[in-house]
Amino acid sequence: MLELCNISTKYGQIPMLMEVSIKVDKGEAVCLLGANGAGKTTVLKTIISMVKPIKGEVFFNGQRLDLLPSHKVIQAGIAIVPEREGLFPKLTVENNLLMGAYYEKDKQKINHRMEEVLTIFPKLKERFRRNAGTLSGGERKMLGIGRALLADPQVLLLDEPSLGLAPALVHEVYAVIERIKKEKNLAILLVEQNALKALSVVERGYALQKGGIFLEGSSAELRENKIVVESYLSSCSV
Amino acid sequence: MQRAAFASKNSLVTLLVSVLACVFLYFALVGSLFVALAVIGIGLALIVLGEYRGKAEAIHTAFGEHRSLGITVLIIFVLTLPFLLKGNNYLLHIVVMGGIYSVVALGLNFQMGSTGMVNFATAAFFGTGAYTSALLVTKFNISPWLGTVSGLVLAAVLGLLFGIPALKTRGYYLSLVTMALQVIFTLMIINTSWLGGPNGVPGIPAYSLAGFSLKTSVVLFGIKLPYQANYYYLVFGILGLAVLVAARLYNSHVGLAWNAIEQDEIVAVTQGINQTKIKLLAFALGAAFAGLAGALYGHYTSFIGVENFDFSISLIFICMVLLGGMDNVLGVVLGAMLLTIVDEKLRDFADYRMLMYSLILIIILLARSQGLLPKRIRKYGKLRDSKIEPISNG
Repeated sequence: MLELCNISTKYGQIPMLMEVSIKVDKGEAVCLLGANGAGKTTVLKTIISMVKPIKGEVFFNGQRLDLLPSHKVIQAGIAIVPEREGLFPKLTVENNLLMGAYYEKDKQKINHRMEEVLTIFPKLKERFRRNAGTLSGGERKMLGIGRALLADPQVLLLDEPSLGLAPALVHEVYAVIERIKKEKNLAILLVEQNALKALSVVERGYALQKGGIFLEGSSAELRENKIVVESYLSSCSV
Repeated sequence: MQRAAFASKNSLVTLLVSVLACVFLYFALVGSLFVALAVIGIGLALIVLGEYRGKAEAIHTAFGEHRSLGITVLIIFVLTLPFLLKGNNYLLHIVVMGGIYSVVALGLNFQMGSTGMVNFATAAFFGTGAYTSALLVTKFNISPWLGTVSGLVLAAVLGLLFGIPALKTRGYYLSLVTMALQVIFTLMIINTSWLGGPNGVPGIPAYSLAGFSLKTSVVLFGIKLPYQANYYYLVFGILGLAVLVAARLYNSHVGLAWNAIEQDEIVAVTQGINQTKIKLLAFALGAAFAGLAGALYGHYTSFIGVENFDFSISLIFICMVLLGGMDNVLGVVLGAMLLTIVDEKLRDFADYRMLMYSLILIIILLARSQGLLPKRIRKYGKLRDSKIEPISNG
C-alpha cells in the first residue's frame, strides 16, 4: 500500500537518508526504531512530501507521492500525528478535531467520524469547547490521534507517541493505538524510540541508524535480536 | 414558563446593549473632542468591567439568541442617523469616511486578524482602487459604477500578484516586503505624470443613479439632507454587505483554515490545507475590499492625491484592526469608526494632531492590549451534549 523505494534525502549538503526502503501493507502496523538523529522523522516528512528526496520514489496505491504537494498527499488518505502533536493551541478541541476533516465536504461523514472519535476518547468530549492549549499532556496526545482519525485515513503515521509522557500515560496511548488497529482497517507506521512498547503492537519493524536501514524483521525477531536488545531494550524499560 | 422569562430577559439585554452602543457612538460623534474621549473612556471601562464580572459572556449569549433584534436596532440607527444629525454635513462626512475606512479595515482583517500576516501596504491597495476608478472615469469617460468595479478587480489582481512573492516570506519578513510595496506605490504615483503625479487627480465625477447625481441634496420628511447623506446610504449599504461577507467567511471553514495557518503553518498543511490558495485568498479578498473602498473614496471626495494613500495611512488601518479587535468583525468596524471620529476631532490641535493621536492609541492599547472587542473562542459545529463543559478561555 505505502512503499518507499531507495529513498535518499539531503538537508543542504548533509546527507540524511541513504537508500531507505520501507513497505507498509494494508491493515498492517509497522514500526521504525532509531535513536535521535537517525532520520526517523525525515522518513515521515518524506512520505508527506515536506522533504523532497534526491533519489528514489514514494508510492501509495501505485501513485507517486513525492511528486505531489503536501496537502494533496494528506488528501490522498495519509494522516500524520506530528511529534509533540502539533495542535492549534488557540482553537477549541472541537475545531482542532474538525481540522482533521478539513477537506471532507460531506457533513454527515464528518459527524459520524466525530462520534466515533469521541467514543474512543471520552475525555475529549468533556473538553470539547476548551482551547487545545489548556489540555494536559495525555489529553493533547489523544487529541492529536483523534484529529488524525477524523481524516479517516488509509495510512496513519505516528511520530513518537510516547514522547514526553509518564509511563502510565504511555500505556494508555498504546492501548488506544492497539484499539484503533483492531477496530479500523488501516495501516499504521509508528516511529518510536521506545522500542519495547512499539514492538508490542506492531507486526513488523525496521531499525534505522545514521540514515540507513540496518535491520528489518517481524516484531518477534526484532525483540530477540541481539543488536536491538543492546541498543534499545536494555537501557529503556517501561 | 421559566424558559420564557429567561428568553425575554435575554432579549431585553440585547435591546439594552445595542441601544446603549448606538447612543455611545452618537455622542462620540456629536460631542466635542473631550466629550468624545469621555464617551470612549466610559465605553472602554464598561467593556473591561463587564468582562471582569463575567457579564460579557452572558451578553454575548443573549446576542447569539436574539441576533436579529440587535441587527434591527443597528439598522434603524444607521437609517435614521442623517435625520438625527439634522443634515449636518460635516458630521455626516465623518461617518461616511468611517464607513469607507471600515470596509478597508475589514479587508485587512482577513490578512492580519485571521491569518496573522501583517500587511503594511493596505493603503496601496486602497489607492489602486481609487486611482483605477478615477483615471478610467476622468480619462476614458466610463461610468463611475463601472470604474468602481474595475478598481475592485484591479486591486484584487494586484493583491494576488503581490501575494505570490509574499508567500515565500513569513512574519516580520513578510511585513518588510509589504512595506516595500507601499513605498513603491507612493513613488510610482509621484513620478508618473499620467497618474497625476504629485498634483493628484482632480474633478472625479460623482456617481449617478438613473440621471440623479449623488452630489445633489435632497429634502426628506422636512429635513434638508446634504449630498453627503446620499453617499452615507451608499457607503453603509456596501459596508453592510462587507460585514455580511466577512462574518460568513469567519464562520466558514475558510475562516477556520486562516486561523489554523496563523497558529501553525506546517501543521495546517499536514491537515490537508492548501496553504498557497488559502493565503492568496486572504490577500486577494483583502485587496478587493480595499480597492472597492478606494474607488468609493475617490468618487466621494472628487479629488485624490498621493498623500491619501501613503505609509501613514497604512499604519492607521493597522491601528484600526488592532484597536477594534483582531479577527472580530464587529470589533474591526468599531475600531475604524472610533479612530476616524477621534482623528477628525483632533483637528483643533493642528500641528499636534498626530502626537495626540498616538498618545490616545498608546493609552487605549495599554489599557486593553487585546482590542475593544477581542477575538472570541470560535464556535463551529453543533454537538449538543450535557457532558460538554461550558465555553471558557481558561
